[in-house]
Amino acid sequence: METFLAYLNEAPGTVLPGLMFYVLAIVLLYAGVMVITARNPVHSVLFLILAFFNAAGLFLLLGAEFIAMLLVIVYVGAVAVLFLFVVMMLDIDFEQLRKGFVRNLPLGLLAGVVLAAQGIMFAISWSFAEGAKEGKGPTVLSSATNTEQIGQVLYTHYMLPFQVAGLVLLVAMIGAIVLTHRGNTGVKRQKVAAQNSRRPADVLKLNSVNPGEGV
Amino acid sequence: MDLLSLSTLLPEITLTLAALLLLMVGVFMGDRVTNAVTQFAVLALLLVAAALGATMWGVEADFHLTGPQGFVDVSLFTSLIKLMVLITAAGALLLATGYLRREEIYKPEYAVLVLLAVTGMCLMLSASNFLMLYMGLEMQSLCLYVLAAFRRDATRATEAGLKYFVLGALASGLLLYGISLVYGFTGSLSFAEVATALSQDSSRGALVGFGFILVALLFKVSVAPFHMWVPDVYEGAPTPVTAFFSVVPKIAAFGLLMKVCYGPFAPLQDKWLWLLPVLAAITMLWGAIAAIGQTNLKRLLAYSSIGHVGFALMGLAANDPRSVIVYLAFYAVMSLGVFAVLLLMHRDERMLETIDDLAGLSRVHPGLAAAMAILMFSMAGIPPLVGFFTKLYVFVAAVQADLIWLAVIGAVASVVGAYYYLNVIKVMYFDEPVAKYDRFTDGNLTGTVTAMAVLSVAGLLLIAPVVMLAQYAVHLLKP
Amino acid sequence: MDSSVLLNLGMQLGWLILLVLMIVVPLLITVAYVTYAERKVLALVQLRMGPNLVGPFGLLQPFADGLKLIAKETIIPTGANRALFVAAPILLFFLSLVSWAVIPFDVGLVLADINVGVLYLFALSSLGVYGIIIAGWASNSKYSFLGSLRSAAQMVSYEVSIGLVIITVLLLAGSMNLSTIIIGQAGGITGWYIWPLLPMFFIFFISGLAETNRCPFDLPEGESELVGGFNTEYSSMTFALFFLGEYANMILMSAMTAVLFLGGWHSPIPGDDVIPGLVWFAAKIAFCLFVFIWVRATMPRFRYDQLMRLGWKIFLPFSLLYVVGVAAYVTFFRGAL
Repeated sequence: METFLAYLNEAPGTVLPGLMFYVLAIVLLYAGVMVITARNPVHSVLFLILAFFNAAGLFLLLGAEFIAMLLVIVYVGAVAVLFLFVVMMLDIDFEQLRKGFVRNLPLGLLAGVVLAAQGIMFAISWSFAEGAKEGKGPTVLSSATNTEQIGQVLYTHYMLPFQVAGLVLLVAMIGAIVLTHRGNTGVKRQKVAAQNSRRPADVLKLNSVNPGEGV
Repeated sequence: MDLLSLSTLLPEITLTLAALLLLMVGVFMGDRVTNAVTQFAVLALLLVAAALGATMWGVEADFHLTGPQGFVDVSLFTSLIKLMVLITAAGALLLATGYLRREEIYKPEYAVLVLLAVTGMCLMLSASNFLMLYMGLEMQSLCLYVLAAFRRDATRATEAGLKYFVLGALASGLLLYGISLVYGFTGSLSFAEVATALSQDSSRGALVGFGFILVALLFKVSVAPFHMWVPDVYEGAPTPVTAFFSVVPKIAAFGLLMKVCYGPFAPLQDKWLWLLPVLAAITMLWGAIAAIGQTNLKRLLAYSSIGHVGFALMGLAANDPRSVIVYLAFYAVMSLGVFAVLLLMHRDERMLETIDDLAGLSRVHPGLAAAMAILMFSMAGIPPLVGFFTKLYVFVAAVQADLIWLAVIGAVASVVGAYYYLNVIKVMYFDEPVAKYDRFTDGNLTGTVTAMAVLSVAGLLLIAPVVMLAQYAVHLLKP
Repeated sequence: MDSSVLLNLGMQLGWLILLVLMIVVPLLITVAYVTYAERKVLALVQLRMGPNLVGPFGLLQPFADGLKLIAKETIIPTGANRALFVAAPILLFFLSLVSWAVIPFDVGLVLADINVGVLYLFALSSLGVYGIIIAGWASNSKYSFLGSLRSAAQMVSYEVSIGLVIITVLLLAGSMNLSTIIIGQAGGITGWYIWPLLPMFFIFFISGLAETNRCPFDLPEGESELVGGFNTEYSSMTFALFFLGEYANMILMSAMTAVLFLGGWHSPIPGDDVIPGLVWFAAKIAFCLFVFIWVRATMPRFRYDQLMRLGWKIFLPFSLLYVVGVAAYVTFFRGAL
């Protein structure tokens, strides 16, 4: 049955991928705008998640399925859950936030306009250095799936930055623990090993009590 | 991956292994081994420094070695900056022990974080690829954010950590954006290939990318107008952390700035040689003027450090990286000394931080006051102390580069700056003392104060060798 | 746009919808009968009869329950966030259905045979938590919110070990395509990954219980303390969607277990091709579902600290070690070096 789908996909005049691109891109932009304009911070986070999703969809259209899935797993599945977790528990005064927003709006708009103008300016006059378009990265087997391609270079060519990334994450972990962990004393902890190793013979004594004599 | 190329990473590998080992020891043995962990960390830093110094001995000036897959590239320049970073970091770590113990935050993680921060700095200094640069920079920044908030029960320290983090993240974002633009133009992240591509042809996009990268690095160095975080972070962070911040990351970031300016962006030299003098002038003036109204010593020192960064930047603006190295080396001496004095001021279980707390110090602790006076005179640039000669050295560089206007502004800034340095001395010597300080018996601190004060006086004799060393070091950097 | 383009688009969409229905309709019927099976099995364990009045042996009971739920009124509590309150069960139900797109039922019998099938499943299972969190928050009720917070923490914790377990399977199979993983387990019962990865199989299954909020990890519902947990405020169709979604997730988890560890459509007897693969696959799913229900009938609920301890202090380090072990095995004994 995939063959029929593949046939339809390769048939002349197919518009589904193009259509998907526009749907994903428009929803992505809409979600991006809503992240910063939504009144309720929980809605903002949910729109952020929607934006991640559509970005993942765009990656899929590019054929980068591995990155698309990682985006969903890491950002949507883990990071945004914690965002949502925190935002839901915060007691945020929305009115206070709006006040600052309106007051700083002209300045923000100005900065935005300047940045956009610069962006447009150098986008128009963009040029590539010699051989830039071909890329100068390490060579990979072009026949492999892109997961395999990433695997081929990540642990060989990019071994060093990859290891340092690990160190950066270690630092983040140490930081989080140093700043938040409190060894709270006076808490009764369950000693599972001690409980499991407890045997009836050590703690139980069977007395046969004769009637009328007491223990 | 052959052993020779891996040997370029030996300092980083050693430091990482030491940090991981100490982390394990700290985790499993708890807070009671803090002292041993800290001492071992200092030892590790000094040993790596000694080994690094030994490898620099008798090496040709144009010596350089490329690391695994061309991600790192070490030369005499990187080794010298790393050496400065390692030694000052060891000093700053030694200063911290007494304070941390008093505040009951003496934990093994402090030394581990310092070690990892230094590892990050060494990695970013070695980097010859933007990917590696970013990883190293991020690693050190992350450690610094945590260190700033290390006294987590104090609101001000937490605020300092948070502010530093938010602004630092913004700077990292700018850096990444800039790197992506440069990559878009050249199709490569390697310094050498970026330099080749830019020397053949330069587009506006790559130029904007360079701008973003420069801003991010200037933020790390705390050049005005990207210095807003400095006073708040310096004031809020625990004092030994402030001492660390005022010296170690500054040297590293300056080293990186020079490496980037003379490395991948050497073809754009006419662009940044036009921009840096202006920024240097703004920074020097702002550091001098904004410090005048300060009553808090840590804030004052924050502005003072901004001013000093301005002077060092003047050396770079004059296209003379030698003078930057020399200036930073002796700035580190004075800054560590002053912070050691600050750490010794302690009364009624409380750290003293305002200038008024210094009142009458000369009558209570004449030795300490004398040392502080020497350090302050040196910072103000009064002859014959070492601060004067390093300033002079930078001025001469500026004049030789036909930047006479910049030298004049520098002179004005140092005169204005002299006001508040001398004000501190006046308060110490001519104001009525309030009460006696607690007795201090911290050998590390008194030792550091003495050594740094002596170095400020005797530094005169050391300038010539340091200049020679710097001359060798920049041989490859600026052919 | 000329008519051929529209025709092509229409055919593509129509074909896709047909394929989707071919999976969803049997799935929903299965869900209905899983609820029936659960009640019957629980009843048998507890020496009761179970549903036996509606239809022969009570076989029409699930439909009677469904009709009842549809006929009821949907109540939206005051102060609830209406849009999210309604969206949460829809999201949960939707997620439990889309995961089925990559499950291979038999050789070539799969809707989307994508290269990163395992990651797709993992990604979608990690999204299930949103339906619950949003439901708890939007209900504007303390019980619901507490239940949803518990479930968020629980699901995020157990996802970590599920991820590591999946990695061990990937290392052995050398692919993230589910069909390839199943093909790698050919050659009868001895070829299944359950044997080399036995501890991982148990960790996966137990984490699956936690991931689907099933007993003994059903703290998010925790009816004895939280009324009904995150679905306290739900009624009628919205509740039915939660219910359907949870059971569909349970079946999905069983299907994942079958694919990753029990050889998917392969028969346990080498060279046997009398019984079609689809039947074997269904049988394996049915077995896993039975274990799900069996566990519910026999295990008491975990305490929250025990739950977290099990996830972080036992499963995580152990599965991490196992990943290293399997990687070393693959590198040195399979000659992948």
